[in-house]
Amino acid sequence: MTAPVFEASCRSILPDGSMMTITATRRPRAGRADVKCSVPGAPAQAERMQQVVRLARHTEPRYDSRDQVVLSADRAFDPAARDWELAAVLADRIVRGVLQAARPMVANGWSDAWHLGRIDGRALVNVPDGVLAGGPDGIPHLGALTGQPDPGAATASARAWFPLHSGGDHDDLGWVEVSVRPLASAMDTDDDAISLPDLDALRQGQVRAVLAGARHFDGRGQGQWKTTVRFGETGFSGDSYGLALVMADRIARGREFMTRGRVIATGTSSAWHAGKVETVDALAPKCALILREAGPGDRILLPKAWESALPQGMREALRARGASIACVERIGII
Amino acid sequence: MLGSLFRNPLRRPPRQDAFDATLLGSAAIALPAPAGITIPAPCAAVLVDRGGRSRRLAAGSRIAALEGETAWCVHPGPYTCDLVPFAGAPEIGLRVSFAVDASDPRATHQRFDLFLASEAGSAVDLAGFGALAQTALQRELAQGNLELPPCTTLEEWNTFRSGFNQLMYTRFGVTVDDCVPVDLGATHDYPALLEARLAAQAVPVTAAASVEPVAAMPAEAFVPACEDARALRRLFLELPCLMCAVRMAVLPADQGRFRQHQELLRRLDLVSLSVGTMPALELAAPGQPLAPEEQLRRARHSRRAAAALDEAWALLARMKVAGEGPLDVLFDEADRIVANLETETGARRVTHVHEEVTA
Repeated sequence: MTAPVFEASCRSILPDGSMMTITATRRPRAGRADVKCSVPGAPAQAERMQQVVRLARHTEPRYDSRDQVVLSADRAFDPAARDWELAAVLADRIVRGVLQAARPMVANGWSDAWHLGRIDGRALVNVPDGVLAGGPDGIPHLGALTGQPDPGAATASARAWFPLHSGGDHDDLGWVEVSVRPLASAMDTDDDAISLPDLDALRQGQVRAVLAGARHFDGRGQGQWKTTVRFGETGFSGDSYGLALVMADRIARGREFMTRGRVIATGTSSAWHAGKVETVDALAPKCALILREAGPGDRILLPKAWESALPQGMREALRARGASIACVERIGII
Repeated sequence: MLGSLFRNPLRRPPRQDAFDATLLGSAAIALPAPAGITIPAPCAAVLVDRGGRSRRLAAGSRIAALEGETAWCVHPGPYTCDLVPFAGAPEIGLRVSFAVDASDPRATHQRFDLFLASEAGSAVDLAGFGALAQTALQRELAQGNLELPPCTTLEEWNTFRSGFNQLMYTRFGVTVDDCVPVDLGATHDYPALLEARLAAQAVPVTAAASVEPVAAMPAEAFVPACEDARALRRLFLELPCLMCAVRMAVLPADQGRFRQHQELLRRLDLVSLSVGTMPALELAAPGQPLAPEEQLRRARHSRRAAAALDEAWALLARMKVAGEGPLDVLFDEADRIVANLETETGARRVTHVHEEVTA
C-alpha cells in the first residue's frame, strides 16, 4: 500500500478571514483514547472537535484501533464558528491514509450529521479558488470527494474525472457530476428533464445526445429521471469527456459497479446507444497525466484501442499505487 | 457465567410445532426439527449441544437428540438468491446459486454447523441468509478486499469470483455454484427507492440545525441484553474454530513468520479467554447493578467485537486464496483485527470509561 503518514494538516478560513491550521499526528495508541484534540484556551471546542471526528469515522468501512490521532488547532476561535469541522475531519482522514491528498487542503464546512457523512453547509460566502467548500452546492457529503453517491440522500449524484485537454504538463483532471432525482417528485415537470447550467448551446446538445444514447443502451432511465449535469471546469476541449459522463450517469442511476476511489475515464463514441466505446487522441500525454494523478482505489477506463500501446510499466505502476485500469470496448456488465 | 450464556432466556425458543418439511429447500435452509422424526430424503440433521459441539445425522435416520441438544433439519439446496454488492447501486446485482456443503471429512468442524450453532436463533430462511451474505460481501467490497469496479474485465471477474467463493465457504460453509451479474431494475426500482427516501425526509429537517448534533443520531432498535448475549455467544463459539483454522491456513516460511504467526495465535487465545470469562452485562461487581447507559456501552463493544470477528473470517478466506503468495499485507490486517478484538473485549469488561479530550 502507500507509505504511512504520521503528520498531516488541513487549513480552514475563519470568519475574520484569517487562516487556521489543524494538525493531526498519529502515534501508537498504547491504551489511550482513540482521538485527542486540543484548541488553545478552549476546552469546549476541543471536546466538540473530538465528537465531530469520532462521528465522521462511523462512515468509514475499516476500523483500526491501533493508532491514536492527536488533533491540534493553532489558534482559538469563536465558539459560534463551525466551519473548521470539515478541516478536522479531513486532517484525521489524511493522517490515517483513508484519504489521499495530492496537495495541501483548505476546507470549510459544518454538519449536524457527520455520522452519515453529510456536510450540511458552510459559513464562508466567497469561496476562493482551490478551497473545498462543503454544502449542497459544493461537497454535499464526504464520499463526494471521490465521486461516490450519498447512500442516504434522495438525490443520487456521482462524479467521474477526465483529462480536461489532451494531457501534458499543464493539463489537469476535471470532473463531471450527474445528479438524478425521480421525475415524478419534481415540481416543474414541464421543465426540461436534463438541465445543464453554465454550458453553451453546442455543448448542451452534445451532452443531451450522449445521455440519451447511453440510456437507450441501458433500456432504463428514459422518462424516469430529472437530471442535472455540472462540470467542475467548463473550459475543456474535445469530446473525450463522453465516457466519464456516461460512467457518472450510470453510477448515479445505480446501474454500475463501484470503486472505492474515483473513476477516471477518457473515451468517446458515435454509438452510445449500442454501448460502444471508441478511441480518442493523445494517448501518451493523457496516460502521463493519469499516472501522475491516480491514487488508491481509483478506476481508470480507457478505450480498447489503447491497450496495446499503453506506456511501458503503466499497469504495474498503477497497481502498485492501488489503482486499477481497464481498456474497454463496451460499457455495461462484462 | 458461561452456563448462563447458554441457558439464556432471551434466545427465541425453537418453535417445535412449526416444522414444515415442504419449506425446506425453497424458502428455508434449516428448520428446527422436533425429536423423533425421520429425516426426509435430501436433508441431513445437525445436532448442536450446549457447548456448541455439533454432529450430523444422515437422511433416513430418526432424530435422537441427547440431553441438551438442539436439532436442525438442513436441506442442502441448491438455492438461488440475489445480492446487491453496493448499497449505492441497487439496480445491479449478483444472482448467486449456492448449496450447503456436504460433510467434509477432512474438517473437524463443519463451518455451516458452526453457523447454525452460533448465529441461527431458530430457523434459517433464505432471505435472512441472503441478507447476511450481502452484508459480508458489501463489507469486503467497501474495504477493497474484493473488487468489482465499473466495466469489470473478465480477468477481474475471475479474481472476484475466486475470492467470493472462498468468502462464502469460509464464512458460511456454503459452496457457490454459480454467480452472474444481473439487472435488478425490475425488482429494485431506484427512482421508487429515492421517492421513498424523499418522503421520509419530508419530516421537517430545518429545525434540526439548532438542535445538538447528538440528538440527531438515529434511534435504532438496540436491546443491550439481546445484542450482548448474541455477540458473546458468537465470540465464544467461533473464536476457537477460527484459531484452529488460522493455525492451519498459514504454513510459516521462515523463523520471522513463525514468530508472527505464533504471536497472533497467542493474542487470539487471550481474547478467547477474555470472552470466556466475561463479566455479566448487568453487574458492576457481584450484587451491584450497573447503570443502564453503561450496559448499553458494554453491549456496543460486544457488537463491535462480533463485527471484528466477521472481518477475521473474511481475512481467513483471503489467506486461503493467497496461499503461498505475499502475506505481509494479510498479517498486517490480522494484527489490526486482533487489536480491534482486544480493544473491544477489553472495553466490554470495564465498568466505566474515563474520557480525556486533550493530549
